[in-house]
Amino acid sequence: MRTMMQKLREDVRLKEGLNACMGCGICTAVCPAAEYFEYDPRSIVVTVQSGNEEKIRKLIESDTIWMCGQCMSCKPRCPRNNCPGLIISVLRRVSQETGAFVKSRLGRQQYLILKTIGTNILETGYCVYPASVVPETHPEQGDVWKWIYDNKEAVYERVGANLDKEGPGAMRKIGRENLDELERVFAESGGQTLFTSIVEYSRAYAKESGFVDANGQPDMEKYTDFLLNEDNDEK
Amino acid sequence: MIDKKHIAIIGGGIAGQEAASVLTGLGYKVTILEKNERMGGMLNKWSKLFPDFSSSQLVLDAVKVATDKNLNVICNADIFSVQKENGRFKLSDNSSLDVYADAVIMSTGYNLFDATLKEEYGYGVFENVITSADFEKVHKSGEKLTTADGKAPRRVAFIHCVGSRDAKTGNTYCSKVCCITGVKQAIEVTQMWPECEVFNFYMDLRLYGSKYDALYLEAQKHHKIQFIRGRLSEVSERQGKELQLKAEDTLQGRPLRMKTDIVVLLIGMEACKQNEDLCRDNALELDENRFFKSKNIYNHRNSSTQSGVFLAGSCICPMSVNESLESARSAAMLVDKSLKVQER
Repeated sequence: MRTMMQKLREDVRLKEGLNACMGCGICTAVCPAAEYFEYDPRSIVVTVQSGNEEKIRKLIESDTIWMCGQCMSCKPRCPRNNCPGLIISVLRRVSQETGAFVKSRLGRQQYLILKTIGTNILETGYCVYPASVVPETHPEQGDVWKWIYDNKEAVYERVGANLDKEGPGAMRKIGRENLDELERVFAESGGQTLFTSIVEYSRAYAKESGFVDANGQPDMEKYTDFLLNEDNDEK
Repeated sequence: MIDKKHIAIIGGGIAGQEAASVLTGLGYKVTILEKNERMGGMLNKWSKLFPDFSSSQLVLDAVKVATDKNLNVICNADIFSVQKENGRFKLSDNSSLDVYADAVIMSTGYNLFDATLKEEYGYGVFENVITSADFEKVHKSGEKLTTADGKAPRRVAFIHCVGSRDAKTGNTYCSKVCCITGVKQAIEVTQMWPECEVFNFYMDLRLYGSKYDALYLEAQKHHKIQFIRGRLSEVSERQGKELQLKAEDTLQGRPLRMKTDIVVLLIGMEACKQNEDLCRDNALELDENRFFKSKNIYNHRNSSTQSGVFLAGSCICPMSVNESLESARSAAMLVDKSLKVQER
């Protein structure tokens, strides 16, 4: 069996992101996420640098690695040319591949993100697609968004967008040909494999946690509700 | 015959002058070539020395070479070429000056890191961000350190490793004297303003000299200076020109935000840019940090990669005043040895 460290090292981004860390803390100092969470990119780098299997396993099973916003502000600051943001990308990939992500609350949200942004990209070509930002599931968007959502055709036309229509312009319909190409990019780059992995581990976790239908199969709608409420409980 | 041999010394700082005084003492003819108007080099910019607060003038006066019939000093001589010609060295500057010598000592010293390159620290942008060299200038003038609008600072932060140990500035080496300079200057601030809170932001405190750690103890014990282990990420200016610092207190493992009136950047030492010119017409080489490369760093530290050319002081690597003087005496003895071998 491959060790955690081997799995991490297989990713070229680890080589790019971790030369040698002297623990100065400049990454944590500049990190926007560290201002809001109990989060310290320096200690993540130190853990990976230590090569300690147990600590790395705990890390990829934790909420910690999902707190990074991938802004990469750490990269231009590091005096040793490391990039903690890239190291975290690698930890996330290994967490997705091995199913460790289901062991933390923020990790489990991978399933929600896949269902929203992931599905949007492959089906519409957009990360954020207006019709899928349903006001009921996005209360944080407020009343104004609800009004825009209800009147989207008129509003998007008013601001000069070309919502869902053929031809040029913002929010235009992305053609089948381009969507097929996007799908091939996902297949080639390993994105599709990660999607499959996230779905399968999430289904297994849903089943294990008792979210099943009459046939004993995972009930992903119930599981989705659970994930949404799990998030709300802590707020 | 010693009195027929002529040695050229490039750089009239403390190392160059110390080497000259040893060599004239042995009876050699020596010419010091100084690029500036006056001798003394970088030490002219410093007020008090670590670790015992002696005046730098004390050292400058002590190294001043006694007027000697064998000594020739040429100022405003910006040497850019050293060539071997018929077994001797020909040194030329931009004017018509040519000096011939049997041996050469490089004592070109160092440059201070240009703090404006570290843009995120705001030097040259925010008036209350100064460098350690600026601090020395204030101290030397006899004035007290104040904010740009003349107020007494309530809080001063010293930032270590500015332009040192930083791949982003191209200087991955440690300048090694800045740590103790930070401790010294922090104490000097509290001597000026006993009520002022003083902080040092460091990565590692490299207090390598025999009496340096005692100064660190004194700083903490008697002057209540705080030491925070974390590298400064950025400085921003608030209303009223107060400064806001972002760092991590790595020993506590949490981000730290601090308001301060003045920030002092402890700028590192860099090799002189002219060193590249001085290598062009001979076998001299620079090392990976752009300082002169020694033949070997253990027992031939003062020998360059060009036979007949010797190295003294901080053109080899960052050095303190004492190390620079010792290095200069070693270089001078090596010149003597090598010329005597030639004689036989």
